[in-house]
Amino acid sequence: MTHEEFESIAALDAIGATTAEEAGMLSEHLASCESCRRARDEFAEAATLLARDLDPVAPPPEVREHVVETIAEEEAEEDNVIDSGRRFINPWWLATAATLFLALWGWREFGIRVARENIRTQQAQIEELKSSNALLHDQKEKLSVEMSALAAPDTRSIALAGQQISPSASARVYLEPEKRRAIVFFQNLPSNPKDKSYQLWIIRADQPNPMSAGVFDVAGNGSASIVLENLPVATEMKALAVTLEPRGGAEQPTNTNFYLMGNS
Amino acid sequence: METTHEALLPSVARGDTTAFESLYDRYSSTLYALLLRILSNPEDAQEVLQETFVKAWTNAKMFDAARGSEVAWLISIARSRGIDRLRSRKIRGDRENDAGREISIHSAFVESTTGADKAVQSQEGSAVRSALSELPEAQRVALELAYFEGMSQSEIAAKLGEPLGTIKTRMQLGMKKLRERLQAFK
Repeated sequence: MTHEEFESIAALDAIGATTAEEAGMLSEHLASCESCRRARDEFAEAATLLARDLDPVAPPPEVREHVVETIAEEEAEEDNVIDSGRRFINPWWLATAATLFLALWGWREFGIRVARENIRTQQAQIEELKSSNALLHDQKEKLSVEMSALAAPDTRSIALAGQQISPSASARVYLEPEKRRAIVFFQNLPSNPKDKSYQLWIIRADQPNPMSAGVFDVAGNGSASIVLENLPVATEMKALAVTLEPRGGAEQPTNTNFYLMGNS
Repeated sequence: METTHEALLPSVARGDTTAFESLYDRYSSTLYALLLRILSNPEDAQEVLQETFVKAWTNAKMFDAARGSEVAWLISIARSRGIDRLRSRKIRGDRENDAGREISIHSAFVESTTGADKAVQSQEGSAVRSALSELPEAQRVALELAYFEGMSQSEIAAKLGEPLGTIKTRMQLGMKKLRERLQAFK
C-alpha cells in the first residue's frame, strides 16, 4: 500500500470513519512512517474545523463549579495516597539536623511529583488499552462478517477479465444479493501511479451513467480487495468495470481505458 | 489559528489549577456546542463536558503542541466521549425518546465568553466558515454524518442511498480540502 493510500485512510480516520481493518493497517503503518503521522495529525486538526464552525454555547455555571470541585478532589486524593505512603518513613529521620530535614523535604517534593506523574501515566495507559481493545473487537466483528459472506449459500461469484491494457489482470466478485453487499479480490493489476487510483464502476440496466462502487490502490504484488455495500439490486447490475482515475476517484469515468470488465 | 492564544495545557500539566480554570473559560463554550450537536440533550452534553475537562486535567501532559493545537486536542477528547455516549444511548434504545426532547439550544443558553475570547472566536469563526463554505454540499453532509453522528461509511451510504465507494471518495476529497484550507490559515 502506498503512502498516498495511507493518507487517504488517515483522512477518514480523522472523522472516525475508517473500517476496523483500515484503522488497524493505518495504526501499524504510522508506527514507522513520520510523514504519514504528520498527515494524520493535520487531518485530525482539519476535522476539528467542523466543530469550530458551530456557534459557541455557554454551559450553565454549575458545570464549571462541578468540574473545578472534581479537580480539587482528585488533587486531594493524590495527596492522600502520597501522605499514606509517607507514614512508613522512620520518625528518627525527621528529628535529625535541619540540613537533613531540608534534604528530605526536597526529596518528598520530588516523590510527590513522581507519584502524580505515575498516576497520570497509568490512567493514560488504561485509556489507551481500552481503545486498543475496542479496535480488536471491531476487527474481529468485520472478519466474521466477511467470512460469513463468503460462506453464505446465496453468494454469487462474478469474474472480471483483464482487458487490452492489462490482459493478465483478473478479479472475482463475491456478491450477496440479499444483503446487497460484495467482496472483490483483484489480481495482477499493474501498480497505480501515486496521483491515480483505480475505480470500480457498476454499469446499471436502469441508468445511463456508470455508478462508482469504490476506489482502491494496488501495491507491488498486483493484488487488492475491497468491500462494497449498499449495492443496487442484482437485476439492475449489468456489468462491472475498472478504470484508472485521478487520485481519490471521480464522479464519472474520465476515460474508457478499461483494465477489467465482466458481466454480472 | 490558535497562535492568538497563549497555550494553557503546559501549565495545566504542571498541576496549575488557575490555568485549568482559564482553559475551561476559554474552550467550554466551543466544546459544549459540539456536545449539544452530537447528543441533542443538554443533560448528557453537560455530563460529557465535565468528563472531557477532567480527562484534560488528567492527561494534559500527553498534549504535544507539535502535533496540533490546544483546541483541536480538547475537541478530539470531547467528540470521542460524545460519540461514545451517543452509541451507548443507541444501544439502550433511548435515542427515539430523546428525539422529542430536542430543544432550541441557542435560545436556552446565553453566551458568556469574555470580550477578548469573543473577538478571537469571531475572527477564527469567520475563517472556519469560509473553509467549510467552500466544500460541496454532498461532501460536507457526508463529513458531518461521520463526525457528529458517529456513522460508519456503510451507514452513511445507506442513509444517503449512495454506493459506499462514492461516500468514501466524497469524505476523502472533503477532508483533503479542509486540510488544504487549514494549511492556508497557518
